[in-house]
Amino acid sequence: MRTLALRVGAAVLVLAASSAAAGRTDPPPQAAPAGAPAYHDYAALSAALKAAVAAHPGLAKLASIGKTRQGRDIWAVEVASAKGRPVGERPALLVAANFEGDHLIGSEIALCMIDYLLTAYASDAEVRQRLDASAIYVLPRVNPDGAELMFAPVKAFRRTNATPIDADNDGRADEDGPEDLNGDGVVTVMRVRDPKGPYAVSAEDARLMKRADPAKGEAGGWAIYPEGIDNDGDGFINEDGPGGVDINRNFMHQYPYFEPDAGRYMASEAETRAVLDYVLAHRNIAAILAFGESDNLIAGPARPAPATRLDLVEFAERSFADARRTGMVPPLGAGFGRGFGRAGAMMPGAAPAGGAGGRSAQGAAPAASGRGMRTVQPATSVNAADLEYLNTIAAKYREMTGLRATGLVRAPAGAFFEYGYYQYGVPSFSTPGWGLPGGARPSAGAVPPGAAPGRAGASPAAGQAGPPAAFGQRGAGRGSTGPAGPGSDAEAAAEAIDLRLLQWMDAEKIDGFVPWTPFKHPTLGDVEIGGFKPYAAVNPPASMIADLGRAHAKFSVYLASLFANLRIAKAEATALGGGLFRIKADVENTGFLPTALAHGVVSRAVKPVMVRLDVPPDSIVTGAEKISALPTLAGSGSRESYEWVIAAAPGSSVTLTVMSQKGGSDRATIALR
Amino acid sequence: MMTRLLRLITAAAFPAALALAVPAGMSAQGRPSPATTQAPSAAAAVAQDWAARPSSERTYTVKLDFNRWHDVSELQADMRTLEKAYPKFLKYISLGKSYGGRDIAAMIVNNPDTGPDTAKPAMYIEANIHGNEVQGGEICLYTIWYLMEHYGRIDRITRLVDERAFYIVPTVNPDGRDYFMHGPGGNARSGHVPVDDDNDYLFDEDGPEDLNGNGVIEQIRKYVPGEGTHRKSSADPRILEPVPPGETGDYVLLGLEGIDHDGDGRVGEDGPGGYDPNRNFPADWQPGYVQGGAMDYPLQLPEAKAVSDFLLAHPNVAGLQTYHNSGGMILRSPGAEQIGEYPPQDTMVYDEIGRMGERILPFYRYLVIWSGLYTVHGGVTDWGNDTLGIISLSNELWSSQQYFTSPELKEQQRDPESPIAPRVANYFFNDYLEFGDQLTEWRTFNHPQFGEVEIGGAFKKTFGRVPPRFMNEELCHRNMAFTLYQADEMPRMSIGATKVERLGGGLFKVWVDLVNDKLAPTILAKAAQNAVVPPDLLTLDGKGVEVLSAGWVPSKWRPSVARPIDQKDLKRIIVRNGHPGRTTRTVQYLVKGSGPVTVTYASLKGGSPQKTILLQ
Repeated sequence: MRTLALRVGAAVLVLAASSAAAGRTDPPPQAAPAGAPAYHDYAALSAALKAAVAAHPGLAKLASIGKTRQGRDIWAVEVASAKGRPVGERPALLVAANFEGDHLIGSEIALCMIDYLLTAYASDAEVRQRLDASAIYVLPRVNPDGAELMFAPVKAFRRTNATPIDADNDGRADEDGPEDLNGDGVVTVMRVRDPKGPYAVSAEDARLMKRADPAKGEAGGWAIYPEGIDNDGDGFINEDGPGGVDINRNFMHQYPYFEPDAGRYMASEAETRAVLDYVLAHRNIAAILAFGESDNLIAGPARPAPATRLDLVEFAERSFADARRTGMVPPLGAGFGRGFGRAGAMMPGAAPAGGAGGRSAQGAAPAASGRGMRTVQPATSVNAADLEYLNTIAAKYREMTGLRATGLVRAPAGAFFEYGYYQYGVPSFSTPGWGLPGGARPSAGAVPPGAAPGRAGASPAAGQAGPPAAFGQRGAGRGSTGPAGPGSDAEAAAEAIDLRLLQWMDAEKIDGFVPWTPFKHPTLGDVEIGGFKPYAAVNPPASMIADLGRAHAKFSVYLASLFANLRIAKAEATALGGGLFRIKADVENTGFLPTALAHGVVSRAVKPVMVRLDVPPDSIVTGAEKISALPTLAGSGSRESYEWVIAAAPGSSVTLTVMSQKGGSDRATIALR
Repeated sequence: MMTRLLRLITAAAFPAALALAVPAGMSAQGRPSPATTQAPSAAAAVAQDWAARPSSERTYTVKLDFNRWHDVSELQADMRTLEKAYPKFLKYISLGKSYGGRDIAAMIVNNPDTGPDTAKPAMYIEANIHGNEVQGGEICLYTIWYLMEHYGRIDRITRLVDERAFYIVPTVNPDGRDYFMHGPGGNARSGHVPVDDDNDYLFDEDGPEDLNGNGVIEQIRKYVPGEGTHRKSSADPRILEPVPPGETGDYVLLGLEGIDHDGDGRVGEDGPGGYDPNRNFPADWQPGYVQGGAMDYPLQLPEAKAVSDFLLAHPNVAGLQTYHNSGGMILRSPGAEQIGEYPPQDTMVYDEIGRMGERILPFYRYLVIWSGLYTVHGGVTDWGNDTLGIISLSNELWSSQQYFTSPELKEQQRDPESPIAPRVANYFFNDYLEFGDQLTEWRTFNHPQFGEVEIGGAFKKTFGRVPPRFMNEELCHRNMAFTLYQADEMPRMSIGATKVERLGGGLFKVWVDLVNDKLAPTILAKAAQNAVVPPDLLTLDGKGVEVLSAGWVPSKWRPSVARPIDQKDLKRIIVRNGHPGRTTRTVQYLVKGSGPVTVTYASLKGGSPQKTILLQ
């Protein structure tokens, strides 16, 4: 029964295409007729990449940078012309997508970008210039195991990879996943009449639910659960589904500790490590454009888009929030054993009066040495000196894509693009790749034709209160016992956008919401099944991919035009007599970006520019040292001057070398006459 | 010493004659000493008689040396020797390869007769993650050796080996250890993953160099009469001291022994590695500008990855000790203040272990890392405690206080004119206890960059951070004793008393005592808060048996209502926060059905005892 959706998919294609014209657009993740826009599964993506690379042998290379748990390759495409400077010495843009398994639109845009760049190279002088002087690396699908679920017969909300995780920590991993009870190919939510249920039908739209507020005289009467059954008989539904780890929660900046979908620890996943190893092996990456469910381009880098959520999904997830707390044995009464129930329990040897010096009952003896030592805290906001650069780029992004407002977005704790700026030290951006219509804080309305339509961040669960992830993912749920991750406060305050999203789907005739339909549940009895479809809130219809792809490809070309460009602007020698020469050199950055952002310098993530006069050190009489390090050199023609007096044989020559990680290198030979 | 032994033996009610004869005539090996053969004839006859009996002193199957430092291949050879001698108990494994391709060797100590190692609470002991902190390797070797040689000989050792498993890793950083043993790595903490320390786009191109070939990286000084910053001390001419402000000396210091390998005008500025291998673990890991030497991401280093993968694959590890040097400290996390102090239930356990350690290890102090030492992000003890739920300690081996130990000598050291005053104490120790072996003399050297200089004046790498060789066996034993104490206090679950009451109608009330008689809980409070350790499981199995209710009994001895356990599956009760130390809990079941039922308390870190009870 559950294989129905996919099998039927092909047969229904024509129907779907024609019905789109007639009325409703199929939700994004469907197969499409040949030539029609479609989302790519792993096989199709791999084939498309191989074909694109094969068709442009001097311009693109395909490599696997790692294998997933299920054996899929994590592909990396290097787009750069083979002639000219070695690619590793050119500044490069990294485009990376699909960290969140359900965010396939990013993957599709990345694929379009590759095609655009490879095709335009022959005809477009700007593209040719960028691919000759710089490189664009593309990781189109970082989490292929997660992404593949979009093409499964039954679709559920899930962002994670395939690593088994015991989400509710009951000693069993992945034992209670979702079921498609009504056989419609999607896992949504169930609502059931329950005198103790805190939810009521929304007055704004009868398809939506709200939390009743007793203070306003509102009564509840409904309980909400994810669609499924209680497989392990623990009293919770779908609290521990298959997988996994959300790769965009697994990086190190503001890593959300102890949240199940963040992985057991930072960088625990093969996908995460593959990406890290890749960027560390490519220190020429000078900017990062990540597609994902957080945004700092549409809203701007100084104020990342506030997190939003879907209440329907959030309510369903809350039903199992307590699963991770079950089994906490409370302190038992006095006279019971010698337990730790109360502070200062009767533990021999634990008496406060114990050791020499009358130390406190808790903690080891304090000593003077550690306290009061200066400790450095990691940066958590954009360095003021970098903001203007990043704002300029974000403004250009909005101009080039027409995107003005975000839909579902989440706080970026542990996301890759945050690592990109805060630890890797380069301009690093994230965009969902599309948006909802409207201004800075949009309301429902018509989508401008051709512009990006709805923009949804997470799978509906995303950006919800605290740790929880989508259905079938593991979520500690609101108020879980674990300490909240850095993003949690923001996420808890997330605005619910159910109504906005629904109105947009209505306006666009997108079939993204399953109407409530009665169903006889094995343990809950009479329920209604309905709600947002997985993937529909995160990915726009496939028909929009091409336009989004083109706009982002052009943006990537723009980004590649900004790189620092280090060169020796002047290098001259004057004979002073007696075998001495004065050498003067100017080092210039003709690009827009500095050779290192301020935070790149602060974080020591970006090496200084090295200026080296290749002479024996003891031949330098005065002036600069043989090797000088310049922490950063601003762009737009900024220069730094160096001067040496050296002893050398007249008629010989010396070489001056300047090197940078993000702005290329240059070399000059100076004749001494 | 002998008198004491004598008293002990007498007290043990040995025949007086035998006891008296021991000091006079027997060597430790029980062979007659020359003195014995010259004893009066009557005694000689008795002595002959004794000599035929087995010696009261033990002999060892494997003879190892603990008064010297072992390089990696020696350590591994000794481990192999032990494995060969005790094949039933020991299993030599490799956790992985270091960057330099050396095995990270580990020994599993386990008695298979009492179950597989993975089914027992295990103590993980590692050492030498910092390349120059070598002596923990010898403690590890000593521990394996001691456990094996005394199994069946000392009851408490026998019981420990039967009840617990041990995972022992003598060197986590074999590249660093061999660099210390064979190369110029006397001061090198790092592993050998290349790092560009001087930002010249070259990696590890200019390391220290033992120019005079004496195995020690020494200071370079130049004699510049009247123009220098240093002078010979009046207290001891071997001491080079900075001159007071406004005066000039006769020497300048030019850094450590090395040359300018890469022709950049600087000497020895980019040696092997250049990071801190114990800042690469993924708990409170911070990037390099916050935590120097952390590398680019956690578990990037092959050594940290290898030991972490092992720990992740062995959730039965309940105790961790990582040996470092030096300073005489028993350290626990948090490594950084912002992590926050542990819950009181946890600190009480640590405190008791730490204070016991202070008694076992004279001159060692029990401290919290961030407040007592300095801030450490991404260290292995935070990883162990916070993410793996393991009671984790780090001993900083060897305190300089141990050079002069008695209260009288400590008092004498307060006198600045004393030959053992702190300023000159090391020189005294070197002169009179090491016979001058530990200090190098200044010798002239023609340096390619500095011209004529003097090289020397250094205490060797075997002095200062490691104990004198002759004191190392004591260091090994005391630290092992402390770690075995920690191992013994790991949780130990057992099923205690049980009681069955027949209620009629096929119903039974069943009480089961669950006991943890050791100090440590099966799950640390912080681990339970963060759900990082799988829960303990209390299961009841029986054919056709149904559990109608289950509850925790507040008191066995006074009337009380059992507090119901609010879980759906009462045949598989989740005990998420584990079982506290030194505590008995009573669970009360209401069971329908009869026949044998088996109650199991399954705890990853506390063992999995079970008991079968007959309902009739």
